[in-house]
Amino acid sequence: MDKLNILLSESGLANLTLPQLTMIIVGLVLIYLAINKRFEPLLLLPIGFGAILVNIPGAGMYAAPVMDAEGHVVSAGGLLYYIYHVGIESGVFPLLIFMGVGAMTDFGPMLANPKTLFLGAAAQFGIFGTIIGAVWMSSMGWMDFSLADAAAIGIIGGADGPTSIFVASRLAPDLLGAIAVSAYSYMALVPLIQPPIMRALTTKAEREITMTQLRVVSKREKIIFPIMVLIVVAFFLPSAAPLLGMFCFGNLMKECGVVDRLSDTAQNALMNTVTIFLGLAVGSKLSADAFLNLETLGILLLGLAAFCVGTATGLLMAKAMNAMSKTPINPLIGSAGVSAVPMAARVTNKVGLEANNQNFLLMHAMGPNVAGVVGSAVAAGVLLSFLGG
Amino acid sequence: MSELMLGGLNLMLLGMGTVFVFLTILVIGTTIMSRLIMRWHDAPEPEPKRGGRPKPKDDLSEVAAVAAAVKAVHGH
Repeated sequence: MDKLNILLSESGLANLTLPQLTMIIVGLVLIYLAINKRFEPLLLLPIGFGAILVNIPGAGMYAAPVMDAEGHVVSAGGLLYYIYHVGIESGVFPLLIFMGVGAMTDFGPMLANPKTLFLGAAAQFGIFGTIIGAVWMSSMGWMDFSLADAAAIGIIGGADGPTSIFVASRLAPDLLGAIAVSAYSYMALVPLIQPPIMRALTTKAEREITMTQLRVVSKREKIIFPIMVLIVVAFFLPSAAPLLGMFCFGNLMKECGVVDRLSDTAQNALMNTVTIFLGLAVGSKLSADAFLNLETLGILLLGLAAFCVGTATGLLMAKAMNAMSKTPINPLIGSAGVSAVPMAARVTNKVGLEANNQNFLLMHAMGPNVAGVVGSAVAAGVLLSFLGG
Repeated sequence: MSELMLGGLNLMLLGMGTVFVFLTILVIGTTIMSRLIMRWHDAPEPEPKRGGRPKPKDDLSEVAAVAAAVKAVHGH
């Protein structure tokens, strides 16, 4: 009878606390959003599942290993503990993902029209505007964000999952779960968030502007470009070198055409493997005490604001460029400057087609879109060097 | 204004400044690179076409279709 009592007292039901139950429900909601609503399923599904696993009482999925005085292992620790510390605390997983993203990126549209890099820069205003919002909330006494926390929240506005996770793991590991969930949820919501802002800030005549056909970009340019970016990063902003270095490496593997096997692995097998572990590890940060508080609500609100501000500043920059440039620039491509590749470019194309059903902006929007990835990585580098990540 | 707010504003000016300067350097670099490459190699070589040559099987079916059409017209 004693044995049965022990078994019962160790059961999940006996030990489950209300916050843990809430977090398991949060995990189930994430899984629902991934499966039924197709919200970034590749990440939200593992994140949701990781959130459930880490909140099972007594399972010890996130338990640290225990050593005795002589250094022998008493208890080995949980799976999620190792995945998190090996992959995310070290920054390895986000960087490997960035390599894969690089191997999937085509810089052709951007090389054909390098001016679109400015749109990718303007949209990064969302990041810094949100930082101001976060410190303002703190100075009003509503939240308790340090400048490093604020920077990690602001990077949600870069609309780039791996960059957000990388910066958050350096600057605000406690907020990582909420930041990653917020970043990926809003990336999935780009088709809902952006169009109203795009319509509000442009006139119908502007949305109808057709752009000149992009020139053909030679293979040589595509090969030299990542090397050139790497050199510029090395000279001017070494703190962005981890992110942009891996990005350029992946891109060079794709464009050079002599290591197709490596490029294929980086884009597919490796990327998928890392995505599974990255998702689980992010989910493991969704523990009740770290997630169920007012700060998470603040992060969700600020993340949304970051997306809106980034979209708006990208559009305004494109309008300014259209006014100054000789060749016409449709302001809609500015909204693609928030990364979220390729979703933001597709949204631009869709809103453009609504105004003029012969106007295909997709390739024109891919330029600012990939420029946004470079821009948010540069912004991440600035934050890390400024705040000493 | 609190110290935190000043820090935030400072970060924003520095950050946006760096992002714009960096991407401006990149725009200039890219433009120069493209010009140089186009000067050295006058015409940009076209992207390698995939499956440019029609396969022999396609050829035969096309011949067969033409033959059938010719027969249909002249047969009567």
